[in-house]
Amino acid sequence: MSEPQEITPIDKSDLVGIAAGLFAEGYRFVQVSCVTLESSYELTYSFDKHYRLKNLRVIAGPEEEIPSISVIFPNAFLYENEIHDLFGLTIRNMAVDYRGTLYRTTIRTPFSIGKVKIPVPPQPKAPTQEEKPATATVSSTINEPQGGS
Amino acid sequence: MNTIQEMFQSWGMVERAVAFILLAPLAGGLIAGIDRRVSARFQGRYGPPVLQPFYDVFKLMQKQRILVNKFQNFNILLFLLFTVFSGALFFMGVDLLLTIFSLALAGTFFVLAGFCVGSPFSHLGAEREIIQQVAYEPMVILLAVGMYQVTGSFKVAEIAQFQAPLILYLPGVFAGFLYILTIKFRKSPFDLSMSHHAHQEIVRGMTTEFSGPALAVIEIAHWYENVMLLGMVYLFFGFNPWLGLGVALLTYLFEIFIDMNYARFKWQLTFGSSWLFTAVAGVSNIIVLGLMR
Amino acid sequence: MAHRNLIPFGPQHPVLPEPIHFDLVTEDEKIVDAIPSISYVHRGLESLVEKRDFIDYVHVADRICGLCSFMHSMGYCQAVEEIMGVEVPERALYLRTIWAELSRLHSHIFWLGVAADAFGFESLFMQALRLREPVLDIFEETTGGRVILGASKVGGVRRDIDADSLAGIVKRLAKLRPELEELSTVFITDYSVKHRLCGVGYISKEDAYILGCVGPMARASGLDMDMRVIGYSAYKYLDVQPMVETAGDCYARCLVRIREMLHSIDLVREAIGKIPDGPVEVKVKGFPNGEYMSRIEQPRGEVIHYAKGNGSRFLQRFRVRVPTFSNIPAMIRILKGSEIADVPNIILTLDPCISCTER
Repeated sequence: MSEPQEITPIDKSDLVGIAAGLFAEGYRFVQVSCVTLESSYELTYSFDKHYRLKNLRVIAGPEEEIPSISVIFPNAFLYENEIHDLFGLTIRNMAVDYRGTLYRTTIRTPFSIGKVKIPVPPQPKAPTQEEKPATATVSSTINEPQGGS
Repeated sequence: MNTIQEMFQSWGMVERAVAFILLAPLAGGLIAGIDRRVSARFQGRYGPPVLQPFYDVFKLMQKQRILVNKFQNFNILLFLLFTVFSGALFFMGVDLLLTIFSLALAGTFFVLAGFCVGSPFSHLGAEREIIQQVAYEPMVILLAVGMYQVTGSFKVAEIAQFQAPLILYLPGVFAGFLYILTIKFRKSPFDLSMSHHAHQEIVRGMTTEFSGPALAVIEIAHWYENVMLLGMVYLFFGFNPWLGLGVALLTYLFEIFIDMNYARFKWQLTFGSSWLFTAVAGVSNIIVLGLMR
Repeated sequence: MAHRNLIPFGPQHPVLPEPIHFDLVTEDEKIVDAIPSISYVHRGLESLVEKRDFIDYVHVADRICGLCSFMHSMGYCQAVEEIMGVEVPERALYLRTIWAELSRLHSHIFWLGVAADAFGFESLFMQALRLREPVLDIFEETTGGRVILGASKVGGVRRDIDADSLAGIVKRLAKLRPELEELSTVFITDYSVKHRLCGVGYISKEDAYILGCVGPMARASGLDMDMRVIGYSAYKYLDVQPMVETAGDCYARCLVRIREMLHSIDLVREAIGKIPDGPVEVKVKGFPNGEYMSRIEQPRGEVIHYAKGNGSRFLQRFRVRVPTFSNIPAMIRILKGSEIADVPNIILTLDPCISCTER
């Protein structure tokens, strides 16, 4: 029933190379989503081919620059601008750079670290959100049914 | 009807002009009101009261006068003036050609009014209006030429009193004139430069930058213009006043019907098709008339 | 004559009653460049996950958009249910599918009307909106809402539809069908409509793929891409056929939507024929811990609801990737080189939904 979704953690320096490989394989760029962690950001690049999603995960610190993949996938520029405007991350070499004017929010970069209240799990045994991406070093499906926590 | 016609003919030129200036807005507004009502019925709505165009114009008159620049007002007033002038000439029964040319002049002032503001929508609308004028003007002139060929006179009064049915001599010209009437009435598919609904890529085209009294002036000028154009339709049936009046109103209904059944054309097709139609219907009719003589 | 004009298109424009803005650089009537900008009404709904727990947030998700409101709450619920491993009862899945297809139907009819308005065919616009009413009435009678349905919840649906009403829906849609066919005939055959749509706004299959087109936009260019094929909800039990056209112009997009509209009626009928009895919801225990990207097919294309929870009552992150956002690059590509008279048609055949985009 559920769609299998693999997430491959990669290093940000490999991003462009892997994306180019996926482009050559005929993948379509679907989206980038970004999650604010306690002291870093977690970017998920999704690609699709024949209804199968393939996700690449990049962890970036607030000061780090992320290479743009809009040279390879021309439609990526919107997502990258979005991440720049909402999360305050710097993305290098965007095909179209809005320079922070795509989302003219009253609060600048509303999702950046410090502005987002990360929810606290009710029980101490639940892992903190910082550990989670660190543990996911091998590609795995993310459909973990969660017991009664 | 005949008594009305006789009374009209017994009047002097000045009286006729005054009658036109006073009565045409009433008739034009009423026609516009009926138009909105009938259009609404075609679309399955009820539509506004028949007098709504008058309410609209009175309301517009009361609005604050905001002008983008002074040329705007100047051009718009000249537009009204020349429309009224050409209409008055027409109903005074003088030269048809003069009427047509002064109407074209009025249109030119309207285009200038569109050009004199800064809005790109207005500019685009004005550009399209010029294209439309180029599209319809040949047919209007052919109308005068055709009528001259049959009646031997450019005088409206003489054409109107011509006893043979003009329509039998000029069916092609009449058809061509019907075609370009859609442009003149600013009805779909030819409402390129400014549509009635402002649901257009260029907002409301030339009139985008007009508001309040200036817009009311444009509205009134259109009423004058419409009455005059229907008067031209009447000329084809001058031999029988009742028939003429009936056909003029039917023509308007027909235009509403066309309006309801078409999407807006692009300017290329508008221009091409009206010239083609002018050539096929109008010019051939004139040539045949020439050969018959 | 190559005088360049800058024409502002939106955020307030009568053809496009949605707050998106284009700067169209034109030479006469030809567009040489188009620069989009959005975020006129950014509402920060994604940020609201901080304040509303994952159960309450369904209502916020419902309000992301007016036309595909149900699809958003459905996608959200699906994502949360996947994370939590909730087995949603079959009947609830079917009901969701029925409402989703009805949403698609009413969205497409509405689209046809608005498209007709864009090319200046007012009577067609009125007729289309009139035909949309029966669908809205069905919504009102089955959920209580005409636009925002609020029928979906985590673990199932909020309301059941009894057998009589289901039969009534089929009957009403059967009555609606010939009227819709009559309406679509005008779109398919009318000369002036074809004049405005055929060959306008062409995008090739390759471009559509690379630029990330989704939904009817992609299908009109010959891409066989319909997320319903994945088989979420009850679609796995139904005979879903992606409607694919190859011409890639506005006319093809129009045809795709017309065919989808009629297909939706078939799907609703099929779903109502197959719907099993049983409960419509299960009790949900615990809090979401994990992440999932739920993909569903909206009227406008693939939408992705990404939810990430860390075991607390509030989601850590909820993100919606809406189809309009994905179609904007293609929209820019098409706009370049087109004529100003075609702009409304091009923009509307993409069916932009800015209220989705400005979530």
